[in-house]
Amino acid sequence: MRSHIAVAAAAFAVGGVWLWAFLSTDSVWLFASLIVVAVLAFAFFQRFDAAGRYRRALATRPRRAALFAVLAVAGVAGGLRDQAYPLLMLCTVLLFVVACIGLNIQTGYCGIVNFAGAAFFGTGAYTAAVLSAHGVPHLFAIVAGGIVAALVGSLLILPVLRTRGYYAALVTIAFGILFSTFLEVNSALGGPQGLKLPGIDLFGWRFNRDIQLGGASASFYVNYLVLSLALALAAFVFARRVERSWLGLAFDAVRLDETAAATFGIGIARAKIIAFTLGNLLCGISGATYAMMQGFIAPNNFTFGESLILVSIVILGGIGNPLGIVPAALVIIVVPQKLQFIQEYRFLLYGCLVILILLFRPEGLLPRPLRNYFPESSA
Amino acid sequence: MDPGVAAQYAFNGLMLGVIYAMVAVGFTLFFGVLDVIQFAHGDVVMAGAFVALATSLALHALGIAVPALVVIVVACAAGLAMALVGALIARYLVLPLRAAPAFNTLLVTLMLGSILRELVRLFYPNGSNPQPFPRLLPTVSKNLGNFTLRLDSVILLVTGIATIVMVNLVVRRTRFGLAIRAVAQDSDTARSMGIDFERVVLVTFAIGSALAGIAGVVYGLYYNEVNFDIGLLLGVIGFSAAVVGGLGSIYGAILGGFLFAALQTIGSVALPVSSAYNNVFAFAVVIILMTWKPTGLIAERPSERA
Amino acid sequence: MQRMMLTACAFALACVAAVPSMPASAKETVKIVYIGPLTGGNAALGLGGRNSADLAVQLHNADAKAKYTFDLVKLDDQCKPDIGVQVATKAGADSSIIAGITHYCSAVAIATVDTYHKFGLPVIVWGAVLPAITYGNDYPEIHRVNGTMINQNEVNAKLVTSLGYKTWVIIHDTTDYGKGHDEYFTKFLTQDGGKVLADFGVGADQQDFTAILTKVKELHPDVVYFGGLTPIGVRLRSQMDKLGIQSQFEGTSGIVSDSYIQALGPIAEGTIAFIDGAPIEKLPGGKFFLDQYAAHHYAEPPEAYGAYAFVAANLIMDAIEKVGPNRKAVTAELAKTKDHPSIVGPITFDAHGQNIVPIVTAYVVQDGKWVVWQDSDYAKGKRKLAGRK
Repeated sequence: MRSHIAVAAAAFAVGGVWLWAFLSTDSVWLFASLIVVAVLAFAFFQRFDAAGRYRRALATRPRRAALFAVLAVAGVAGGLRDQAYPLLMLCTVLLFVVACIGLNIQTGYCGIVNFAGAAFFGTGAYTAAVLSAHGVPHLFAIVAGGIVAALVGSLLILPVLRTRGYYAALVTIAFGILFSTFLEVNSALGGPQGLKLPGIDLFGWRFNRDIQLGGASASFYVNYLVLSLALALAAFVFARRVERSWLGLAFDAVRLDETAAATFGIGIARAKIIAFTLGNLLCGISGATYAMMQGFIAPNNFTFGESLILVSIVILGGIGNPLGIVPAALVIIVVPQKLQFIQEYRFLLYGCLVILILLFRPEGLLPRPLRNYFPESSA
Repeated sequence: MDPGVAAQYAFNGLMLGVIYAMVAVGFTLFFGVLDVIQFAHGDVVMAGAFVALATSLALHALGIAVPALVVIVVACAAGLAMALVGALIARYLVLPLRAAPAFNTLLVTLMLGSILRELVRLFYPNGSNPQPFPRLLPTVSKNLGNFTLRLDSVILLVTGIATIVMVNLVVRRTRFGLAIRAVAQDSDTARSMGIDFERVVLVTFAIGSALAGIAGVVYGLYYNEVNFDIGLLLGVIGFSAAVVGGLGSIYGAILGGFLFAALQTIGSVALPVSSAYNNVFAFAVVIILMTWKPTGLIAERPSERA
Repeated sequence: MQRMMLTACAFALACVAAVPSMPASAKETVKIVYIGPLTGGNAALGLGGRNSADLAVQLHNADAKAKYTFDLVKLDDQCKPDIGVQVATKAGADSSIIAGITHYCSAVAIATVDTYHKFGLPVIVWGAVLPAITYGNDYPEIHRVNGTMINQNEVNAKLVTSLGYKTWVIIHDTTDYGKGHDEYFTKFLTQDGGKVLADFGVGADQQDFTAILTKVKELHPDVVYFGGLTPIGVRLRSQMDKLGIQSQFEGTSGIVSDSYIQALGPIAEGTIAFIDGAPIEKLPGGKFFLDQYAAHHYAEPPEAYGAYAFVAANLIMDAIEKVGPNRKAVTAELAKTKDHPSIVGPITFDAHGQNIVPIVTAYVVQDGKWVVWQDSDYAKGKRKLAGRK
């Protein structure tokens, strides 16, 4: 049992090295071979279920697993410490993971279709922009971003509750377009020129300053990485807790069969409202942080295309499984940035990728495992 | 308001309405026959417009310049090409997925729309720039007070209405239309009656997509410009129109199309805020309508999929 | 066994954390970046600028006496502020890029000034005319070789009021660029005695202007002024024609491009617009620039601002040759620019990094080409503009 944990820890370390190389290399060959290695490893583990024992061992010690993950990412951050752009990519991946975990709670757990994810992401961003322009403390602005996104989501909750299937999709798509059009034409929120934001200033520690510790220096993006990592970790833990709680059971019941759930006394509307709100809260918080990191937002950042990217990440990773979101986000966000020659073609590739997945492997990269009611009790 | 100006607004609204109605009828046909929403339909309109553009450029290069002939050839080319595209989509993407959850089909067609958009943007020469569409129709105009009536706009309006009426006639009066309606009502019984289900689906998709192709030509000739991303908004508007009018009903789709155009026009004229808010207004009304009547204004056809 | 495992992963982590930073860029080849709209409605101008900057780099690299070889990295900002900030962040975060030749679209340029300052990347703007880009901040990194819209609109107002027009409707896009044009033109026009009947803001992606233009038609202005870029200019002019609006149409440097004429055909005839600087042929180094440009066989013409991109690239390369590939040193060196010779004339950066361009040229579309106003049949009275007898 303990050796399983140790091997799992080693796996995280190797994964950390892989991630460092993945993010920092400029060589297309090395990058391609890293992808090949990852694909082979994935296929191997899928085929022989070699990871089963280690996964179960870690599942009983979630705090240990989280510690390993944090250490691995910290190691990667250390290796990347003065390369601003790879750090920025890693932060972006982590923040999108937070937003997608929110979407996952809505779609993967509760079955609510939401094609306006970018609108809620954008609500958080614009809230942070407006609040920070008025001198509100930044931590509060970020939390407020999430709350305002949840409130805006409550505008949409009645249509979402009353519609099913395609109609629900239409309602969220219409809302997404309404949102980005509204931002474009409303000059109070900057219009197409967008809004600028200051860098985060947390209790006096200014994030936009390069860090100098003794003789070593690090890019200022390390600050954002620490914050993003904390948010991502919190989102994971939150999603796990929700899933394993009675609330999560209710969500799954509502998703699988509303009529049956209703006959068991589960409040359908209540479950959907909670899921929708929680998801939007996460989207809003990550949107606010992302906006402050980028320093600039415009209506063009939050269009239907971006909503489709969020949905693609959730589908690719495996609907219902927050863990799958991380590799999916890496693929969708990092790969086109690194392989410049496909940067132009990236939307084309996303589309083909999602269609192929839906045709041949609809469960995604890491399918959601069966609900585990009783943890493994022995090694 | 000056009656001439009011007439001008009304006419503009009619033009928009006819284009939206053409797109909405396609959506409603597809839903009727297969219970599926083909989200790439708006981008099929765009693709039709680009095929028309390419054809007209080719004809121009070949030296054929008689405008009436060019218009007819271009419209036929767009219609036929899109019919083929529609049939291919039905055959390879929609039919295989009809047993899968509705969400999957939705996503597949959404992504397909995205792919069509990107294909045009990347592979059409200068695809990412707005493309000027040739002026093929006579521009004779007549001024009635403040209202300018142009012959080309009238021709487009009449053409649009004529194509919708033709499709309606095909569905309501021909044997094949009877087959379409049979499949739409109950596909299992229709099959047991000897109707070739797959053929009906393919031809329906072809008809709907051909209509979309012609809508693209009308759009191009009206605005004299096409862009690779006009499909997204057109698709969403067409879908909203079809839904508001009641999915599965052609009359509902036509009603929905003109209703949406009216909303947009009212939004840009009558609201106290700037006219750029017209889309915001129109979509907000659509969402409210959907909340009030979740399955549309005309028909009560819940989209239940097993 | 588990001890070894634990030691192994501790070792791996330690290795990763101790990895030294990426090696510094090589001394011989220096990277500079060109950012402009390479795709989208304004691509013609972005590509013209790119080719001109590339021409400058190639001519410099061919010079045997140069200390460094330059590599021009080309990034596309798509004329969208958010994309512009993304690519600016990318360029700024890449420590091997020493300086930048940036932006045609003002909306993008004003959004990215903070980004360049954040990363300390010195840039010279080659085509954006919004004054706030240089005058709105105190960042030492931002410079500009072309003029601002203040002069453009001043000359514009004088010319059109001298032609006898009395009433205007102003249409502008809602970015800072359009709003800037609206502000300055209204100011100068009212000073010169013109009357603004109405003012409309339009979205940068708007397709359908029939609602606004119907209102304009009701007002019967003498002139419709448009403050914005080519794509919207084309749509506006085309839909004006469709609605039968007889007013004269005029614009700013944003619509002086060949794509405007190509898209509109004969409808473009008679449009008036203005650009800062003399036409390329009349510039001091204009002939040299055009000859070299032709000799290098670029697919696209240099367009209105190509010469400025050429100048910006040369300024940067000269500064790097003098002080070496270091961002701070280059910023300090550029600040000292005074009467630096170039193909558009001597360049001097004032305290805000702005070069003063004394001339503004008026153009009118005649027979499918932009012709200098003074040389045109309209100025000589052989042809009449809309609404004039």
